[in-house]
Amino acid sequence: MNCKERLILPLAIIFFLLSIGGGVPPVNASPSIAIVKKLSGMATVVRQECTISATTGLEIWKNDTIRTGPDGSIGIIFNDDTFLSLGPDSILVIDEFVFAPKQGNFSIAIRVLKGTAAYLSGLIAKLAPEATHFKIPTASIGIRGTKFAVKVEKE
Amino acid sequence: MERWSNVFVIWIFFCLLTGCGAHRAKRDMIVLLPEPDAKGGAITVTTKGGSQIIDNPGHATEIEDSNKPPMTPKSIEEKEIKDVFGPALAAQPDPADRFVSFILNFEHDTTKLTHESKNLLPEILQTIKNRKSKEVFVVGHTDLVGTEAYNIELSSRRANHIRNLLVSSGIKSSGLYVSYYGKARPLVLTKDHVPEPRNRRVEVIVR
Repeated sequence: MNCKERLILPLAIIFFLLSIGGGVPPVNASPSIAIVKKLSGMATVVRQECTISATTGLEIWKNDTIRTGPDGSIGIIFNDDTFLSLGPDSILVIDEFVFAPKQGNFSIAIRVLKGTAAYLSGLIAKLAPEATHFKIPTASIGIRGTKFAVKVEKE
Repeated sequence: MERWSNVFVIWIFFCLLTGCGAHRAKRDMIVLLPEPDAKGGAITVTTKGGSQIIDNPGHATEIEDSNKPPMTPKSIEEKEIKDVFGPALAAQPDPADRFVSFILNFEHDTTKLTHESKNLLPEILQTIKNRKSKEVFVVGHTDLVGTEAYNIELSSRRANHIRNLLVSSGIKSSGLYVSYYGKARPLVLTKDHVPEPRNRRVEVIVR
């Protein structure tokens, strides 16, 4: 199975499940949890062993790894209005993202493994502050509705 | 003689540029940034060795060793923030893409809006309509006077009052999400039992 097929398969499964689900409304039909809003230089998204070149408007999924090149930077907006951006030579992993106000479920778990990142908290921080988990290799960062930046020296 | 003084000057200059072999260690750094919309924000940085709270924008902590606590936060210069985080900050998405947030204030111990806040309602409705928003969050709070249980109930009444106002003005109730926190999340930190008008509020966040 090549890269593209591997990406299409989960979507096909979702559509299949939806089609047999009949009248069930398509809750979380889209795996998109964030969207690329700003981009300069080289940035890639690693998704299920596939590497995708980032473009503005690209949807970000849970478990994506975002990398920037030596001249790259990228800014994304999560569905809950959390803003996250990376400077050059940076690596970010999104381990978890749930924003389901109807069900009252909220969770965001992010790791910056290398480089620089700036973070502006969104609605999850307001509605469920305990549900935000931000980590770097040497520390974890607890957030009370705010904006901050991190620099990680070693991967 | 003069030649030597030239060398000295050059050496000083070189020192200033490079930090003079002070050997600025490569450390992880975390800085709290100023954010007008998130006053009262704070971060807690925790390593295996301990933790530090940063609640002062422009202050930063560094991590020397993950087995030691983070260093005591101290103010860093804007220039250094720019040097280190410039590209990451420049890549932050446009603030115009942010959800729009309004704060409505109430008279003490009531669901009665203050005069100024009442005047804000048309703008809120207009924003919801302009954005064709399908998600509006209505979040109730109180100040720190009274018990937790009482304030939970009061914040619920406030939030639901605003929800009902929006519904009666034509906003679909299916897109309105109400939550309330009593006295748990003051906008302005005060001691317990201190009256504070700015904390008696409902936040309306329009997607």
